[in-house]
Amino acid sequence: MRLRVGVIGCGNIFNLAHKRALKGIEGIRVVACMDIDEERAREGAREFRAKAFTSLDEFLDVDMDVVEILTPTYTHAELAIKALKAGKHVIVEKPIALTVEEGERMIRTAEKEGLNLFVGHVRRFDKRWVQIKEIIKKRNILPMHIRKSEVQNLPFPKDYWYWDERKSGGVAVDLGVHVTDFLRWFFDSEPTRVYAVGKSIKEEARANGTFDHFVMMIGFEGEKTGIAEVSWAYPYPSRYGVFYHHLDVIGKNGRIRYTPLDTPVVGVAKANFEMPRFSPLLSTFPDAFERELRHFFNCIKGKEEPLVTAEDALIALKIAEKAKESARKGEVVEI
Amino acid sequence: MKKLNFGIISYAHPHALRFASTIAGCKETKLVAISGDGSNSDVARAEAKKYGARFYRNYEELLRDESVEAVYIAIETYRHKEVAIRAAEEGKHILLEKPIALNLRDADEIIMAAKRAGVKLMLPFNPRFTEPLVKAKDMIDAGEIGPLEYIQTISENVKPPIFLQGLDMSWFLDPRKSGGGGFMDTAPHGVDSLLWLTGDVPKKVYADIGAKIYGFPVDDIGTAVLEFRRGVVAVLTAGWGNPKGYSYGIEIKYYLVGREGFLDVRTAYPDFTVYQDRAERIYWDRPDVREIVRSFTKAVLKDRNVPITGEDAKKNLAIILAAYESSREKKAVKLKL
Repeated sequence: MRLRVGVIGCGNIFNLAHKRALKGIEGIRVVACMDIDEERAREGAREFRAKAFTSLDEFLDVDMDVVEILTPTYTHAELAIKALKAGKHVIVEKPIALTVEEGERMIRTAEKEGLNLFVGHVRRFDKRWVQIKEIIKKRNILPMHIRKSEVQNLPFPKDYWYWDERKSGGVAVDLGVHVTDFLRWFFDSEPTRVYAVGKSIKEEARANGTFDHFVMMIGFEGEKTGIAEVSWAYPYPSRYGVFYHHLDVIGKNGRIRYTPLDTPVVGVAKANFEMPRFSPLLSTFPDAFERELRHFFNCIKGKEEPLVTAEDALIALKIAEKAKESARKGEVVEI
Repeated sequence: MKKLNFGIISYAHPHALRFASTIAGCKETKLVAISGDGSNSDVARAEAKKYGARFYRNYEELLRDESVEAVYIAIETYRHKEVAIRAAEEGKHILLEKPIALNLRDADEIIMAAKRAGVKLMLPFNPRFTEPLVKAKDMIDAGEIGPLEYIQTISENVKPPIFLQGLDMSWFLDPRKSGGGGFMDTAPHGVDSLLWLTGDVPKKVYADIGAKIYGFPVDDIGTAVLEFRRGVVAVLTAGWGNPKGYSYGIEIKYYLVGREGFLDVRTAYPDFTVYQDRAERIYWDRPDVREIVRSFTKAVLKDRNVPITGEDAKKNLAIILAAYESSREKKAVKLKL
């Protein structure tokens, strides 16, 4: 069975990651590309010899199985719900939605329609983290303290949608969900409380009244501590790329560190390790997107069980939302 | 040149090994006496022999030695008050291991005793005496990375005391003697460097500290979020997080984020080990320890202010205790410093 796929949103993440990934996956065919910008829709469609659309209704009339939504966060809910109601499975970029309430509606709609809804939590398909997670299990590390940083110097101008919290949720949501999901995935436990502090460092953040640097201390069941740092304001030099991950896992039976500034690759030096390389502007390796999408398509075909669900994505967003509440109140918030 | 005659009271804290070699090796100081109070009195005796210092069974005898002008006190924390007050009463200048005391009231009594006696009182917090951090502070003060915004620091992840061979460090695992576990042991270093780097004090602290890793009766790791008055946010992790196989015994590092630049600072000086019939860890004359001893000695000999006072150490302890309170109560704690 060949899945017929349509893409909504032919901008950044489409051009940087999904375009290449979709081309590499067997057993699917991209049949339609939609963007509100006609030129971008046409360019995207040309890549796949698909049809270009600027109208959502016309796009949804196309006979296809899956719709991939690669648009700014604030549009996810409306687009996903319409696509589901039109009978399409949906794969949406992270965060699942701008708010938990929207995310819940998306999940309810998918259930009602009996269709799949997947959210692109691509960290779960990044070989670095997958391998560390496997080692944690194999060697019985039993993590109790995990610090994960995802930091960059966001290169976009201040009128770009990322800086508008009503459109992106701000750094606490946009990068935050990556880290909240990561911690929950690594701990294999549920969050109980969060304390967060935000700062507005760059002019772009101050002009928009949003944070560009955000720290969360998240308590997990079993007295585990997760420390999430996300930033759009890091004045790092582009030594290895423009996006940096730092990971420090301290467990009952050992410690694992990963940082591009210090000891590369799981802290284990082998004969032929490579320094981590990042494609420009991307926070992960291109093949992670390909693995992610192939997995989601296989799930839709009933060949694989989901490794990450829309519910996982919703919890990741819920933690980030509670963290924003904590930062606003200056108090611990129960989850 | 006049040398300052030092006595070391107790080898309960393993830093005594480091300070002994530095005091004995520094040209401004002389190690003349060692007392064997508390844990590791056999080590104290062997060290006295090694350095040709007089050995006393207890600190009262050492304090009666009139040639001793200054003491480095490395006794178990719960005895800091008793010993420091007696040392002050005997007119000895005091370099007192951290934390200053178990609680703020005891800290006050120590500070008062030193004041009354007119002796110097200094606490040894290492990071601000390391060359990389001094360099970083100079760069920050010169505006090279713009205003300081955020600090992420691992202030000493060390292997737990039980991994230190040949020393009895069981008192570190008894909170009545130590005041707390890994966080109490190591976080004061980080707190001191944060106060020094920012030139500011925190107004709020939130922390999660616990016996998470080894199953000790005391906490082994903790992380605190500190919000400073003028806006700097710091995240400090401290404790005994390093497993036995970890390649560094100690880890002190800082990511200093300014508005216009970023500093990646690592300050821990590794020790080295000699392997022959047995493995011997060599506590070499580390620059930070040397600077502590030197600056204290200079303050005594020239009657100047010490770089880290009892009041500084009390402020430090107040922050540490607030972090413990926050962790216990599971809420952020406001500080008035």
